[in-house]
Amino acid sequence: MKVIILLDQIQAGLGGKEKASTELGGKKLAMGAADTIDKTLKKKDSSIMATFFCGTEFYEANKDIVQGKITRMCQKMQPDVLLVGPTYDYSDFARMACEVGYAVESNSEIPVVAMVAQEKNADIISEYKDKLNIVKMPKKGGTGLSDSIDRGIELCAKKVKKEDTTEFVTKYCF
Amino acid sequence: MQKKFEQILMPVATKLANNVVLRSLRDGFLIITPLIIVTSIFLLIGNFPIPGWADFWTGILGPQWTEWFSAVSDSVFSFTGLLACFGISYAYGKNRGLRAVHASAVAIVSFLIMTPTTVEVGKKTVGAVQTIYLGPNGIFLGLFTALVSVELFRFAIKRNWTIKMPDGVPPAVSESFDALLPSGFVILAFFLVRIIFSLTDFGTAYNFIYTMLQAPLKNVGNSLPSVLLYNFLASLLWCFGINGPTITNSVWSPIFFVLTQDNLKAFQSGHALPHIYTQQFIDIFTTYGGGGSTLSLLIVMLFVCRSKRIKELGKLAIVPGIFGINEPLIFGLPVVLNPIIAIPFIIVPVVNTLISGIVFSLHWIPYTNGVMLPWTTPPLISGWLSTGSWLASLLQLFELVLGVLIYYPFVKMLDKQYLNEEAAAEEAEDVDIDFSNI
Repeated sequence: MKVIILLDQIQAGLGGKEKASTELGGKKLAMGAADTIDKTLKKKDSSIMATFFCGTEFYEANKDIVQGKITRMCQKMQPDVLLVGPTYDYSDFARMACEVGYAVESNSEIPVVAMVAQEKNADIISEYKDKLNIVKMPKKGGTGLSDSIDRGIELCAKKVKKEDTTEFVTKYCF
Repeated sequence: MQKKFEQILMPVATKLANNVVLRSLRDGFLIITPLIIVTSIFLLIGNFPIPGWADFWTGILGPQWTEWFSAVSDSVFSFTGLLACFGISYAYGKNRGLRAVHASAVAIVSFLIMTPTTVEVGKKTVGAVQTIYLGPNGIFLGLFTALVSVELFRFAIKRNWTIKMPDGVPPAVSESFDALLPSGFVILAFFLVRIIFSLTDFGTAYNFIYTMLQAPLKNVGNSLPSVLLYNFLASLLWCFGINGPTITNSVWSPIFFVLTQDNLKAFQSGHALPHIYTQQFIDIFTTYGGGGSTLSLLIVMLFVCRSKRIKELGKLAIVPGIFGINEPLIFGLPVVLNPIIAIPFIIVPVVNTLISGIVFSLHWIPYTNGVMLPWTTPPLISGWLSTGSWLASLLQLFELVLGVLIYYPFVKMLDKQYLNEEAAAEEAEDVDIDFSNI
């Protein structure tokens, strides 16, 4: 399974909140937090084929452009699945992840899985939980991170194999 | 291995993180922390660690100038027991779904009921409250009074022991009457508790809690093994993505708070500082640049590593790192769920604790004065301000360098892995993805 992951500037290892103006970019590498996910994926003969990153302020100012560019780049690179997050409880990142995830899944054939924490994200979750598969994860510093990553990857695999996800989604997603 | 650790740690960490009492204790102390930091600055100005400082200002402002500053610091440091009662009852009331203001008001009254209100002056007994009961020595009494009074208040509210006012009565009046019977119930309970203690050898609840609980717990907490365990667990939990200090503080914060306040009171009064293992010791002499002492890690990343990713992150994270902010590193390197970095991330704070503990035990450096500095105060400055000795800054520098040496082989391992990945990606095709023309 080839996965593209979308991260904000903090999770991509490009700096803190002060770097929120980081422009949309990407590398054919597992950057920052994606490296942890890549290690789990590799145990299952899968890998991160690319990391897309975008500062949350840049996204906020260029929503339509970013959503369009990510959708087209996904269509060009043809991953098996797009993983948006893990966003923890970073609310700006959670909004970007859900909006971009929904745009890609609606406008392409590529399946999308989001990973978002409930804390600080109640509004965005209630807006998108019926439109997008959002796997529950802990807030920053909360317990259960490793399990939630396993579940996010499991849902990616299920969607790629076009398996029935109803039970899984009921149990582990919002 | 990682999974096994998680299976053992997760249930305990989750229980501690979700326990409403422990969470309220932590939140309660946080409510009064800003007051302590602000008034600490006044205390520090009045007692700045430069020879001749006091004489210099006395010459300009007159001998009363220290009183101006101590009036402000006394307003908090002589009442930390009462303030702890306020903060914890507010947090506990809120976490229990009560009106926090009412819960807090009832707890403060309960605390005052338990406080001795007479003082022997010669052969006379006069009505007065001694600050000894309201300050650091009263913290545990404040803590227990807060929890018990709020729990009793909740008991009464849950059973609807309230006076219902007719519709049309303004909400403020109605809420006040809602709290009438539950408040009466709590006050009656503490009235009886005070009488019961007066019939025992302890005489007061304060004496009982201080002798049976606060003093023994202080002795246990004020030890090297206790702080080693604290720092080991805090770092270990971070490696699994869990905010370690949030969990460990749930257990240790009341003890460290008391130890710190003891030193602060002694510093204010010009007495010998009693304890080594204060909150300052932990914040200032065991980790540098945040959890895991990541300033040492950052130095290795900046000056030794060759991988573009690590070097770039090092450049971006060094300034926040100096001021104790390591979020970009925790998630961006990442530290979380990274077994290579986990080893030094746990070892370095433990080694720092051990060295600092020994150095302070040997009296090579004066004990910390309890003045709570803003957590962003950089190392070297913080060491000097917290002890008044430049040797403390030297200790910090030594531990920072030692941390660099411990982190070095592990970060190099990660650097090599990232370099290989970068080389492979560059060999195969262009690593960068160009979004400009899509």
